[in-house]
Amino acid sequence: MKKTALAFLLILFLCVNSAYSQYYVDFTKPDLDGNDVSLSKLLEKGPVMISFWATWCSPCKEEMKKMHPIYEKYKDQGFTYLAVNQDNQKSISKVKSFINANGYTFPVVLDLDKHVFEDYNGVGLPYSLIIDKNKNIIAKHLGYITGDEVMIEKEIKDALSGKDSKEINKDIKEESK
Amino acid sequence: MLIKFLFLIIILSSSVSYGQLSLKDLRVNAAVNNLLRYGNGYQYTGSIKNPKEYFENLTDAKIKINDVEFGIRYELSDSIEYGLNFKGIAKRYIEYDHKYGISVRAGNFWEVISRGNSLNLFEDRTLYYDTGIDGVRLTYESVSENTNPLKIKAQIIGGNINFRDYLNPERIENYKLRNFYLRVTPLKPITFGYNYVHSNGELPEEGIVTLVKSDVNEGILNINYSDFQFYTSYVYKSSVITPNEIYPTPSTANGDALYNSLSYSKDKFGLTMEYKNYRFDVTLPDNRSNTRPSRMLPYQNPPTAQFENNTVLTSRNPHVVDFNDEVGGQINFIYAPNDKLSFELNGSIASKHYQYEDIDTSSVINYQRIERGNSWLPDMSNAFSPFWEIYLQAENYYSDRLYGKLALVFQNNVVYNQIIPSSSEIIKTMTVPLEVKYSFTNKYTLTFVNETQWASNSINIGDKNYINQYNSLTYSISPILNFTVSSEFTNNEDEPTGKKSWFTGDVSYKLNESNTFGVSYGSERGGLKCTNGICRFVQPFEGFRVLIATQY
Repeated sequence: MKKTALAFLLILFLCVNSAYSQYYVDFTKPDLDGNDVSLSKLLEKGPVMISFWATWCSPCKEEMKKMHPIYEKYKDQGFTYLAVNQDNQKSISKVKSFINANGYTFPVVLDLDKHVFEDYNGVGLPYSLIIDKNKNIIAKHLGYITGDEVMIEKEIKDALSGKDSKEINKDIKEESK
Repeated sequence: MLIKFLFLIIILSSSVSYGQLSLKDLRVNAAVNNLLRYGNGYQYTGSIKNPKEYFENLTDAKIKINDVEFGIRYELSDSIEYGLNFKGIAKRYIEYDHKYGISVRAGNFWEVISRGNSLNLFEDRTLYYDTGIDGVRLTYESVSENTNPLKIKAQIIGGNINFRDYLNPERIENYKLRNFYLRVTPLKPITFGYNYVHSNGELPEEGIVTLVKSDVNEGILNINYSDFQFYTSYVYKSSVITPNEIYPTPSTANGDALYNSLSYSKDKFGLTMEYKNYRFDVTLPDNRSNTRPSRMLPYQNPPTAQFENNTVLTSRNPHVVDFNDEVGGQINFIYAPNDKLSFELNGSIASKHYQYEDIDTSSVINYQRIERGNSWLPDMSNAFSPFWEIYLQAENYYSDRLYGKLALVFQNNVVYNQIIPSSSEIIKTMTVPLEVKYSFTNKYTLTFVNETQWASNSINIGDKNYINQYNSLTYSISPILNFTVSSEFTNNEDEPTGKKSWFTGDVSYKLNESNTFGVSYGSERGGLKCTNGICRFVQPFEGFRVLIATQY
């Protein structure tokens, strides 16, 4: 009976279109050269896409490869793609060589203790959020499917133009029809 | 009691400061995660099929009021897939973060110090492994606004760890732990660290509790300059075992570990080398039980320093790292001549430090170690239970629509049988994983994966040589749907279940930005599942599984 009730409640939740109650949390973490990177400072320039990833996560690496040209395209307008690494002690030593070998130019910070991932309610990888200049989380993605970068680029353009999450969701639903 | 007291202090302090604020200064935020897993079918133990049904639901909720955050986890596992059933509040905490770099947390948490050689508390539910602590953590970290290049982090942790033996969940080891960590960066390229852990452990065995008092000291150096990065850590562990009926004489078990990594990278290529020399408890072959009190402590978890395989067949027989007695390392090379093509080459190697001989000519076994001067290097003779692996991979984005990846993997693992060396288990495999992905449009993609593995196992009763094969076909519709059918085949006559083929279909659907629904049906082969060098055998399963992940 309890399981049925719980499952029913969950189904109710699932049917509800959620507004993002996940909240903004500032953090400062070191990048691959040991420089401190602060989220609040990046947001002063424009919207930020935080992408949690790891070298062992194949969809993460695919997303990164597709997002790199998008970052290059919009960085002069203030957009930042911030890759927050989730490798633990078994693979953290390979992160710098992976990023440098692939020629990625976006900032990469190390979250070895997973505090940032925990602060943003991460449950799996890849996981990304788009935060606008007003520190509102306007989009969120758990997982990556080939082609998602098209929708993400639209969300970035909307964030740069100052649209909020409700307007962005509405635009995406209309496009998918 | 101490935790309840600290809860009260934190709440009172925040209440006093809020008393000075008006309501408009209150910032209240909340977030909830829910993960539901359900399965119904059969689980195999050898060739015997037993009904299996499990239901697990985890809800993580937190609320943040200005700088104070409260969180709880409610768990309903009845019945759990692996482990012991639980219903109730599994975790709870309160945390206070101050803008000047001070944070205090009381309640349940996990933590890792540097690369985890002296302290690495983490959870992996698939292994039923949890070394989370119930205690207090006080941290100071200098903030980046300071113009002084000197950066400091200091941390104190105190609390209890109730560690359930993931191989025997009824058995719980209790550790009262105190930890002090200091990290100093006097100049940007160089960081020094020191960590000290003291624990009082109670280890049950055959109804008797063994008391173990341990001290772990770790020194750390990290140099990050230009294209180079060098990291080294040395750990010394000392455990004093109080005598009892099982261990009648007082004893001290000392051990140490050295871990180094060096990486060099520039545009287009990167090279990483790791070296491990783990000697936390080098002991005789007949004394290597997983519950012995002299072993590496469960709150330590160093780097494995070996390649982490991410294909189905190559990750099915991983090398199980022995952190108490293993020397070796890996070298990893990445070359990306352009933004479409990349190559990766990895070589990993490991072995025990020594070989042993039975010096007693009677029927009693009496092992003696055979000393060697270069025990800081691995030895590939079978008596050292060696492991090596070579991994070569090429991947290419041929166009916006077509992607391909091809790899070649050689693995060789020996588990030496000291009593009957000819019965040592020697597993050799050669695996060719292939992945091809084609995007018809920006929305529709088809992915094909094929892995073929040629294997031999020296202790197979039937044919020692056999072939495994895995295939999968995935149809994806961005951003909402993944549909996969997969199959696996083997002609291994010694397959424990007796089966030769497995088929599974699964669908993953994103209802909206916060909810993902997944269902799978079919048969799964099972095998060794490892995280951070901790391994458990996962039983083969046949039936259906449901997963619902929710984030608010």
